[in-house]
Amino acid sequence: MTKFLISLIAIAGFAFSVTAAAQDGAEAKSAEAFRSLDREVQTLKKEVLDLNRDLFLLEEELLFPANSQVAFFISMDVGEYFELDSVSIRIDGKEVSNYLYTLREADALIRGGVHRVHMANLKTGDHELVAVFTGKGPHDRDYRRGATLKFKKGIGAKYVELEITDRLKKHQPEFVIKEWE
Amino acid sequence: MKIKNLALWLMVTVFAATSLAATSMEGQLAPDFALKSSTGENLRLSEYRGDVVMINFWATWCGPCRQEMPLLEELYARYERVGFNLLGVNIDDDANKAMQMIDELGVNFPILFDSRKEVSKLYNVETMPMTVLVDREGRVRYVHLGYKPGYENKYLDQIRSLLRE
Repeated sequence: MTKFLISLIAIAGFAFSVTAAAQDGAEAKSAEAFRSLDREVQTLKKEVLDLNRDLFLLEEELLFPANSQVAFFISMDVGEYFELDSVSIRIDGKEVSNYLYTLREADALIRGGVHRVHMANLKTGDHELVAVFTGKGPHDRDYRRGATLKFKKGIGAKYVELEITDRLKKHQPEFVIKEWE
Repeated sequence: MKIKNLALWLMVTVFAATSLAATSMEGQLAPDFALKSSTGENLRLSEYRGDVVMINFWATWCGPCRQEMPLLEELYARYERVGFNLLGVNIDDDANKAMQMIDELGVNFPILFDSRKEVSKLYNVETMPMTVLVDREGRVRYVHLGYKPGYENKYLDQIRSLLRE
């Protein structure tokens, strides 16, 4: 009888350990499957983001190819308070941009921000840029200043910075045009 | 008779095309713009992202616009403090006429001047008034062409549902 009971306990214990091992095995397999699925999803996500970035760059290249691209930037370097109201840009006699600045945007420029106000495709050769800015200076004084630049568009992208500054004449904001190399 | 029928058919087609163009904006990002306001400040639509915005195109020569404005003023006064903004875009050639009318009607919501009609072209405005509701993410959700008494109830329901989102 005792021998029988011992054998029964041994068989039950063996069966239990086999079941537990099988369960552990199944759990381990499902965890591994989950991890591999998670890895696949992460890889897919990364591929989608990379594709999105590539498409965006391709779109820009197609719309504004580097060899004909010209970009105009606005920046400010003023000591006295100057509230920029608007900037208008004409290229070869045609108005291409008339940007109104909100208080927030003007504040960002004063804090050192640079705004890409216009991007265009231009043929190689001579072109003329006329930029006019309007705004209010200290004591609510209205300002309207313009600047003209005759430039040559070669092969390759061109970047032109239109800086509003009062470094040249104190209390008098002026346009300073710089071409980036 | 033939000419009458043709004219009627043409009117129906134009109206249908206008409605289609306006409602096809629903679900799209509201085109961004900046205009000078009646206070002299420049206001840009995208700076209101996060709030529910109603853009109402109007003109001084538009009778239903006059009818609608006091009701819009009530909506603005009621919901402005909980994230609702109303931008009244005036398309008159002469901004002074618009200023006179808003003084007369006692309007306090921001009025923007689109005398060059650039923004109204952007929004395909062909019926006056035209009211566009933009959600917190900057998407056009509802477009209303014209005004009839009772429209303000629709506006109220839509504003409340967008504020709750």
